[in-house]
Amino acid sequence: MNVPARRGSRLGATTVRFTFDGREYRGQAGDTAASALLANGVRLFGRSIKYRRPRGLFAAGPEEPCALLSVGAAGDVIPNVPAPQLALRDGLVCWSQNRWPTLALDLAALLQAGAGLLGAGFYYKTFMWPSWRSYEPMIRNLAGLGRAPRACELPPVSTEHLCCDVLVAGAGPAGLAAGLAAARAGARVVLCEREPVCGGELDFEGGTIGALAAADWVRTTLAELAARGARVLTDTAVVGGSGGLVIAHAEPGGVAGANAIYRIRPREFVIATGAVERPIAFADNDRPGVMLLGAAERFLARYGAHAGRELVLFANHDRAYAAAARLRAGGMRVRAIIDCRTEAEFGASGTAVSLRDQFRRDGTECLPGHALLAAEGGRGVRAAVIAPLAAADARRTIACDTILVSGGWTPLLHASLHEGGAPRYAPELGAFVAGAEPDWRRSAGAANGALELNNALADGWAAGARAARRAGASGDAGVAPAGRGDDAPRLVPFCRSPARRVDERRQFVDLQNDVTVADLRSALTEGFQDIEHVKRYTTLGVGTEQGRTSGVLGAAIVAELRGVTPAAVGTSRLRQPYQPVTMRSLAGDRVGAALRPARRTPLHDWHLAHGGVLEPMGLWLRPRYYRASGADAHAAAIAEALRVRTTGGILDGSTLGKIEVAGADAAAFLDRMYLTRASTIRTGRSRYMVNLREDGMVLDDGLVLRLAPERYLATTGSGHATHVLSHFEHYRDTEWSGRAITLTDVTEAWAVIVVAGPQSRAGLGQVLGAGWQQALARIAHMEFVAGDFAGAGLTVLRASFSGELAFELHCRPSLAVPLWQALVDVGLPPYGLEALDILRVEKGYLVGSELNGETTPMDLHLGLASLGNACVGHELLDRPAFHEPARRCLIGIRASDGCAKFLAGAQLVTADAQTRPCGYVTSSVYSPTLGEWIGLALVARRTAIEGTVLTACDPLRGGNTTVRLVPPVHVDPDGLRMRA
Amino acid sequence: MTRLVCPFCGARELGEFEFRKTLPEPGGTPFAQVYERIERPALSVEHWQHVEGCRGWLLVHRNPSTGDVLGTELLGGGPL
Ligand SMILES: [Zn+2]
Repeated sequence: MNVPARRGSRLGATTVRFTFDGREYRGQAGDTAASALLANGVRLFGRSIKYRRPRGLFAAGPEEPCALLSVGAAGDVIPNVPAPQLALRDGLVCWSQNRWPTLALDLAALLQAGAGLLGAGFYYKTFMWPSWRSYEPMIRNLAGLGRAPRACELPPVSTEHLCCDVLVAGAGPAGLAAGLAAARAGARVVLCEREPVCGGELDFEGGTIGALAAADWVRTTLAELAARGARVLTDTAVVGGSGGLVIAHAEPGGVAGANAIYRIRPREFVIATGAVERPIAFADNDRPGVMLLGAAERFLARYGAHAGRELVLFANHDRAYAAAARLRAGGMRVRAIIDCRTEAEFGASGTAVSLRDQFRRDGTECLPGHALLAAEGGRGVRAAVIAPLAAADARRTIACDTILVSGGWTPLLHASLHEGGAPRYAPELGAFVAGAEPDWRRSAGAANGALELNNALADGWAAGARAARRAGASGDAGVAPAGRGDDAPRLVPFCRSPARRVDERRQFVDLQNDVTVADLRSALTEGFQDIEHVKRYTTLGVGTEQGRTSGVLGAAIVAELRGVTPAAVGTSRLRQPYQPVTMRSLAGDRVGAALRPARRTPLHDWHLAHGGVLEPMGLWLRPRYYRASGADAHAAAIAEALRVRTTGGILDGSTLGKIEVAGADAAAFLDRMYLTRASTIRTGRSRYMVNLREDGMVLDDGLVLRLAPERYLATTGSGHATHVLSHFEHYRDTEWSGRAITLTDVTEAWAVIVVAGPQSRAGLGQVLGAGWQQALARIAHMEFVAGDFAGAGLTVLRASFSGELAFELHCRPSLAVPLWQALVDVGLPPYGLEALDILRVEKGYLVGSELNGETTPMDLHLGLASLGNACVGHELLDRPAFHEPARRCLIGIRASDGCAKFLAGAQLVTADAQTRPCGYVTSSVYSPTLGEWIGLALVARRTAIEGTVLTACDPLRGGNTTVRLVPPVHVDPDGLRMRA
Repeated sequence: MTRLVCPFCGARELGEFEFRKTLPEPGGTPFAQVYERIERPALSVEHWQHVEGCRGWLLVHRNPSTGDVLGTELLGGGPL
């Protein structure tokens, strides 16, 4: 089909091919999916979310409630892109939504047609038996906007941080005036415009500004802004922000082709985002072919696309006549202009009067005091039903294919109100404007209710000049240029046409969520009076269009139904983001490896080179096991653990948190930080210690080494150092303020190699050489010796987390690899975290899941040591609930049947009664030493008796296992091996 | 994003700081100190740490209803 090239202010000549629902279409460079499809005669763009009613194009911007498309091929799809926001590019693939199997034939629509229209609350009330859950999957499958992508390759996103004196959102006449005034005064200006082109509606409204035609003024203003160093970001919408930070997003599909997030911190913020046209509700006002009047003007002027051939206009203001004249000049036939104002309200002066006379002479019906009651036609408008307001029964039809509706303009307050704040009702607009705003922020132009060109320019100019002055710019902004454009709208608020009750179910208020006047009425009947409650009950304005076309309309209708003023109803809170932004864009460049830093031990490369399988632990990467040890993770871990028990092995413990505590008050300070006293540790010795949170729960555990009388090394769990350091610093800087305590995180200053097993002393002696023999022979359990190795400092601590004779080597990171390799070479192979877990659970040592923030020292049998030490948290240990028989405490468990398996997380119930669980498994491992599954559990004190038989219930993973309670220390309870 | 003014580092975005606690009313039992927080809609006195900066602890006076920060001051001796 050969379509003649269209002419429009945004169109280029090049042909662009794209597909919609699998069919190929042609558009022109500069087109949006909406304009190109409209020009191709497409009227059906999708189906509605709830009733599956056919829907067309309604608006020409992000406020589009119906024509939401999925962009891309199957699986790699961006859903819910408003068609007017989708810039056309060659090869674009887009799809309609909410239909199955095809747009024209939707089975769900047939189902709904059988059931009749379902009002608000229908789902909750109807699908109650036996439970909502039994219906939910089916309903969820039918409901929802689009489909979430399974995989999504989006263009890379850049995040840019901007600072400026004055930020202006919106580059219509008011925004440009504000930017120009601020720049002339000497301020650094950033201007964000969500459209690809600046100038707002001047491109079709025309008019003059100063001595120039409006379009020329836009051009010269942009040139001057550039010359003055202002930054103008087109295709970039202000989407949200908080606390003085403004977030703007550049569309990936935008004409600029960029995908960027701007984090802008302005001194002053001028909000000139304009106003969005709102509809008037009438029966079947959702039919394809019903469109906002301004949208039709935009499609014509910018893309040469006709909204239809035979138009009926329905409005409540003078602007409709100027718009009608432009549409007629563009080649469309205006059959009728339905004006709901009376002849008296219409008045006898102004451009509208002469335009109306002209229309009447040319055969257009101009009917004041009338309302458009309904649209006729199924998948497209065929006629409009009208009647005089004074005699609603005297209805007749006017044939047409398109109904253009305009009920006034709603200032866009999102940037002002998404952080809260109350809007103020402006009766002359029939809408709300921003109420009191903080000093650094001001709405201007149409966003502030100044709809006339001259007023918008003056308001924007004043706001820009004020912002520049407040930001410290001292130059003279001069005076605002005078503007001449469309007349004042002289609007008479009108929100919906008269309707019988039964027809209210077809008067749509929110087209995106299928909310009708009947739904609003039902919400009020149910007692939801507040607009926020009405919103939640009916889903009014909760979708991607965020109430831009439906919010004020809904509030006005609620006011009418309640018999109060719109001011008394107010509007619901506007939420960010202003328009849909992909999660990918918000993540910016912080994805994948850049999401967070990875901490690597000095032995990282060695592990990788020797088959170490790494796993993240906090920010750290640690080896789970080594491939050479076994066929899979389980076999390798068992082999590694067994090796430690029989001969020996080495573990990279560098991730161990290490905090050096020094100063004259260090000992007293640590006494307060730990459950047991640090002051009684002798220099050269260490102790296993536990700290508590303020509320008495165990925070962390570790060894504390006394390096010198006034110097300690406190070790923490891997990845806990930062948190424990903050905990220490908090007390140091609050109740110990001014005392001599220095806290230093030395985690990365010392690499740690754990050498464990019966042959660890011999192997270590071989590696460290003769100079260390005596020390190694003499060193007692929990003692350490500091010395020298290969010219660098080395501390050897005899301590064990495996139950075997073991040593911890603290060395400088540069020494880690040679020392490690030397130990491997004397027959001490490496073992990983899986093996460590096995060794620890066998010995009943806490693995980590026992320190879950819900356990006290008594629960973990660490309680007695606290006597007499007034540490942080000890006061709250006396709470009665901690000592009740239902309180869970630590105990060991084993499978009753030798080969049965159970996993951490399994719930423990008593065998006799299937009542509430009396505890759960915190750790479980297969013990190669005992040849069966063992574990640790938290079990109610009254049940935690050795020998008790319980059932470990794990329905999702493995079913039930019979277990028996045993002492927590499964292997070598007397610690003979460790003290060997 | 709101900013807090660190006496050492200047105005920094909230993301650099970590919240620790809302201060209870002075006095009272240890239990009250931990659990009995009195909700004061116009003024909340809080401890924050500049974890991604100087690690100093700050006493922050804040209006939770509006999100306005009324003032920050340094706790203790600050970073050494
Ligand atoms: Zn700081």
